[in-house]
Amino acid sequence: MALLPAAVPALRAENLSKRFSTTLAVDDLSLTVPTGEVFGFLGPNGAGKSTTIRLLLGLLRPTHGAAWIFDDPVADVARAHRHLAYVPADVALWPAFTGQECLDLLAGVGPGTDLAYRDELVARFGLEPGRRARTYSTGNRQKVALVAAFATRAPLLVLDEPTSGLDPLMEREFRRCIAEAAERGQTVFLSSHKLVEVEAVCSRVGILRTGRLVEVAGLEELRRLRRTEVTVDLSRPAPRLRGLADLPGVTDLRWASGLQFTLSLVGPPGPVLRALGETDVARIDVREPSLEEIFLDYYGEVSA
Amino acid sequence: MTSRTATRPQAPAATASAPARGVVLLAVRLVRRGTLVVTVLSGVLAAFVAVQYRSTFQGALTTGSLTALADNPAIRTLFGPARALDDAGGFTVWRTGTVLAVLAGVWAALTATRVTRGEEESGRWDLLLAGRVRAATLVRRQLAVVLVAAALPGVAVAIGMLLVGTVTTGALLFGAVVAGAGLTGAACGGLAAQLLAERRAASGLAVGLVLAGLLLRMVGDGVDALGWLRWLSPFGLLSTVAPYADDRAAPLLVLAALAVVPAVIAVVLAGRRDVGAGLLGGRDTARSPSPLLRSLPGLCVHRVRRALVTWGVGVGAYFLLIGLLATAMTDFLEANRQFAELAVEAGFDELFTVQGYAASLFSLLAVPVGAFAASRIAASAADEVAGRLALLYSLPVRRARWAGTEAATVALGCVVLASVAGLATWAGAAWVGSGLTSGEALAGALNVVPVALLCLGAALFALGYAPGAVLAIGVLPAAGGYLLLLFADTFGWPEAARALSPFAHVASVPADPPDLVGAVGMVAVAAVLGFAGVVAYARRDLRE
Repeated sequence: MALLPAAVPALRAENLSKRFSTTLAVDDLSLTVPTGEVFGFLGPNGAGKSTTIRLLLGLLRPTHGAAWIFDDPVADVARAHRHLAYVPADVALWPAFTGQECLDLLAGVGPGTDLAYRDELVARFGLEPGRRARTYSTGNRQKVALVAAFATRAPLLVLDEPTSGLDPLMEREFRRCIAEAAERGQTVFLSSHKLVEVEAVCSRVGILRTGRLVEVAGLEELRRLRRTEVTVDLSRPAPRLRGLADLPGVTDLRWASGLQFTLSLVGPPGPVLRALGETDVARIDVREPSLEEIFLDYYGEVSA
Repeated sequence: MTSRTATRPQAPAATASAPARGVVLLAVRLVRRGTLVVTVLSGVLAAFVAVQYRSTFQGALTTGSLTALADNPAIRTLFGPARALDDAGGFTVWRTGTVLAVLAGVWAALTATRVTRGEEESGRWDLLLAGRVRAATLVRRQLAVVLVAAALPGVAVAIGMLLVGTVTTGALLFGAVVAGAGLTGAACGGLAAQLLAERRAASGLAVGLVLAGLLLRMVGDGVDALGWLRWLSPFGLLSTVAPYADDRAAPLLVLAALAVVPAVIAVVLAGRRDVGAGLLGGRDTARSPSPLLRSLPGLCVHRVRRALVTWGVGVGAYFLLIGLLATAMTDFLEANRQFAELAVEAGFDELFTVQGYAASLFSLLAVPVGAFAASRIAASAADEVAGRLALLYSLPVRRARWAGTEAATVALGCVVLASVAGLATWAGAAWVGSGLTSGEALAGALNVVPVALLCLGAALFALGYAPGAVLAIGVLPAAGGYLLLLFADTFGWPEAARALSPFAHVASVPADPPDLVGAVGMVAVAAVLGFAGVVAYARRDLRE
């Protein structure tokens, strides 16, 4: 496949909207994913992630707006789909076909597949390609689609919650494949609600809420959303610490007793540590909230 | 019960019967529309033919021709034994009995597999079964609903025949046999759904069982030594019961057994298998991948070939029998001029020569070939809803290309299927030395292909504009057109109405030269319908 100039974005959407009778599933979504980026597409269930992806694949027709894959309009699938490979959220295969037959079909009809790499992927994902699709679990069907997608070496991989049925070992293998794809310069559009996974592989994320793209941020910015929860036990009361609340990055300071307090910290911890250094600290416990908690926090903030 | 367990939350006693009722209501929702259509159609068709008889045939037949008719093996094989033709009821049984019973049986078999295996295969049962319903209970209740629905066309036939004033006993027995055919079909469908894990395979097996019953009837009625075969088939029992003639009720017990035995086996088997599995699992692995599955045309051929073989076996067997009967039929009509004239009035034109006989029967071929075409496009629509096309459409494959490739493959399949019928007729006719050449047989069979292509075009049109009704709209040109011509001829409807039927534009090949203008016109209409459908299909949202 001819290499495309880096200046052309892998994926571009302008004012994309989709209305299903009374429901506005995707609302005026504009987005550009540059070539080579691993982009995380986040959102809770029903936010419109899959609908957006189906619009980008030309499976659904937009009510308004347009989108391009490497500058080819998505409606022109014969051209646009030469540049991409797709893994649906719910992989449906013809039940009587074996995994191998599904892979052969996708390779035969698709724009080109690296067969040696495909064999390697089949082994890495532990797929049994001789079995008929009706005997496959959800995870195994997902593996078929993942192997087929990664083996195309398409410049854009569109992955819709591709690990929802995979066990942790296969999830690790999946992350390795994404890393390899990124090293080769492939662009990845990864829809997920697994923040750990997104944080591990993505460089930039977009957050979708009820059909609207409410945030597009680099991972560093996402990390800034992160707050650390600090619990401190003191040996002796330290009245000066009452001023902690005024320090930069400190929120939600709560004194459980005269000798114990908790606070939430966003950003560098230096000022708080300096303040604590002048007191008699018996024990300090620093807990990072899970990414899920941040995600929930974020959605709480947005809805507030 | 100990005091500790007593503190567990208990389901309110008032809802104890709710799951049972819920399952029944769900099944009723799934079957009600089809039941209404088939029931009304059956009742109206039976009553209509009885009325038609009064206006054309009453008193026109002499005892001699009746006896000859009843004795002729060809007539008996094709239309069932002619009994009580001097009576509107008896004539209706002879003319529509087999058609109505086959319609009820096939529809009930398809409904049973759809409601039981189809719902199970889609995974929708898992939610139900996670509740308080056991799998065997679910099968039992759903099958019970389908059985009740399957009996309704028979009830409608009895009511229709009573309303037009035929004898009560005959009407009730006629209705009972049609109801029994429906019940047998539903029970076979329920059984096939327990044996096979895929709905399509189960539907094929169930319909195959029903149609095998039709062949048993044909052989049993045609060959005296094998008359006992009729007892194994609901259609054969129609001749044994002989409504309006012998009015025997005892064979209805055998008919009941034909329905009850498979139904009971189905319910027993339902409790002995895993949910989602069938008792006859195919191999879960394959030795080597199919070389066809490497390209789009290969995929289309792969998808169509098993269906083509199944339909080919059925159509081939039927037309082989038609061929074998060629001389018996023409000899009979030669010897019975009076009946031959009536046959012309009844729509069986030119049965005097073997070519005319073959042409008359080839016009029926349009219905199965058209149904084959519609069912293949319906399978594509089903794949779309099941999400199986999403991966394919993520490749550089335009929808118009996929639909076009599939339509071309199916069109080719129609030609193959018609050729199979033609060659089978020729083989049978050659065996009895009737003088029908292979060229004539093939020409006659291929002559109806434009009607089947109209079905294909209508199915593609539905794929674009009404994807939920592909099968119904697809079979309309053949099945609906056949009925339209029958009604138009009988009621003397204006030529414009009659011309809407594709069969008005099909010549009696090989007796007459082909109607080339009609054929080209139909192919053109089919192409326009198909093109419009594919364009709409390419522009609409993909369903999932």
